[in-house]
Amino acid sequence: MSQPISVHNLKAWYGTQLTLKSVDMELPASQVTAIIGPSGCGKSTFIRCLNRLHETLPGARVEGDVHLGTQDLYKVDPVDVRRMIGMVFQKPNPFPTLSIFDNIALGLRLGGVHNRGQLREAVERSLQMAALWGEVKDRLSEPATSLSGGQQQRLCIARAIAVQPEVLLMDEPASALDPVSTLRVEELVEQLKDTYTIVIVTHNMQQAARVADETAFFLNGEVVEFADTTTIFTNPTDKRTEDYITGRFG
Amino acid sequence: MRTAHSRWRKWQANVGWGASWLATALVLFGLADLVITIVGRGAVSFRWSMLTHVIQSTPSGLQNAILGTLELVVLATLMAAPLGILGGVYVSEFAPLQVAKTIRFLTEVLSGVPSIVVGYFGYLLMVLAWGWKFSALAGGFALTVIMLPYILRNTEASLQQVPLSLREAAWGLGMTRFQAISRVIWRPAASGMATGVLMAIAIGMGETAPLLYTAGWSSVNPNFQLVHSQVGYLTYVVWTYIEQPYESAHQLAYSAAFLLLLVVLFINVVVRALLTRRSLRG
Ligand SMILES: Nc1ncnc2c1ncn2[C@@H]1O[C@H](COP(=O)(O)OP(=O)(O)OP(=O)(O)O)[C@@H](O)[C@H]1O
Ligand SMILES: [Mg+2]
Repeated sequence: MSQPISVHNLKAWYGTQLTLKSVDMELPASQVTAIIGPSGCGKSTFIRCLNRLHETLPGARVEGDVHLGTQDLYKVDPVDVRRMIGMVFQKPNPFPTLSIFDNIALGLRLGGVHNRGQLREAVERSLQMAALWGEVKDRLSEPATSLSGGQQQRLCIARAIAVQPEVLLMDEPASALDPVSTLRVEELVEQLKDTYTIVIVTHNMQQAARVADETAFFLNGEVVEFADTTTIFTNPTDKRTEDYITGRFG
Repeated sequence: MRTAHSRWRKWQANVGWGASWLATALVLFGLADLVITIVGRGAVSFRWSMLTHVIQSTPSGLQNAILGTLELVVLATLMAAPLGILGGVYVSEFAPLQVAKTIRFLTEVLSGVPSIVVGYFGYLLMVLAWGWKFSALAGGFALTVIMLPYILRNTEASLQQVPLSLREAAWGLGMTRFQAISRVIWRPAASGMATGVLMAIAIGMGETAPLLYTAGWSSVNPNFQLVHSQVGYLTYVVWTYIEQPYESAHQLAYSAAFLLLLVVLFINVVVRALLTRRSLRG
């Protein structure tokens, strides 16, 4: 059901500054790929190119191609791309004036679901998957901002998966969370990977080791090494990868 | 040497502070004088019967002016609010950079045009050229021109304050730009936009100059015809009746000013409330 992403010769600019320098990657379907690397190396820029959010910034530009399965994502409407590729951001960003229920239902309504029963069901299912249902089932009509930071982030995850994309991008989804919520998110990623192709950016090496099947090490806008997670963490081929994961720089 | 220098600096600072206090005091004094005069004279001059009598009846009243102001402001708001809000949304969310810059510039120019010029231009165009005569519609349009820039700029500014992260949340979910604005982004900006409309109403209500050449003046109640029929309004009463040598005319002028002050004050209180609610929500 989910499909692989293949990235070929991807370059991204902010104005005249070349930030991603020719990235080639094959992200396998139904697997978790972690993106690691020092701050400012282009991790966020990379995943924002996958759902074509990068190009919404004034002056930002992308070159190269990204395929989801056989579909060239840079040849379809970006709105359709973003319906196929969900995203969870580093900082929780629920729709502040909407209720918990509507935060999740909105995407479904825009997708054409209007039947109340169906909506309720889908909202509950997504909240269950995001491990938030138990905490919010009695307060679905309260504003999303009444939730704690960790709960808001899980709400954002529920919002992203409610519309059933094929790929889920997560940009440091746990960086603002306490250890318990972080664990929840990690368990969630584990569960979701059967259904989705997942790309997760993280600064936390243990987290990458725990959740990812494959790991890519980025440095200065380039992929230094991309292999299965065990190899990256136990037997990296590149000296720079080794230095980074052993904490010698970055 | 150093002490002399620091004494000199201290003296400078004192003079600076003194001057600003003096300036503030002057402004406050002027404002207080204005308010006290209007409230003092207005409150004693005001009679409840003024609400139910037109200006030429006995006892003389303000009903025609109140209804006329109401008609003009409602007409102008009906035109300026949708136009201003849609324009602000367009400039903030959709317009290409150059177009946005041009509209912003034109708005600045428009809000800088003296209101008497707006009135005279309206006179030449609507009253004479289009043959509307002095009328509610001509007055309403003139007020629209005064109110529009406030609403447009306020709408744009409120939308610009909505954080990028919220837009990205909407786009990231696969919303079109139009869906993002109509379903999500306008909500946190709503109280700011409402504030702009209310401020514009308060400003429109207090205008005299653009109406003199467009709405004309009528001492009987408006017949709610859009063209070919003159309308009275409160600011006209303030402006002309204060010059007449009769105490009864002065009473009408002060009462009209008093009513305007009350309404504008009320609008400002509502605006404050909207703004605090917004800042409480964060
Ligand atoms: N909006 C922007 N405008 C201009 N330059 C930007 C912008 N966003 C990021 N950059 C630059 O692009 C480079 C890569 O940024 P990016 O956000 O992709 O890094 P990152 O790997 O996600 O870092 P972090 O781990 O700190 O989130 C950085 O040098 C950054 O300064
Ligand atoms: Mg980042």
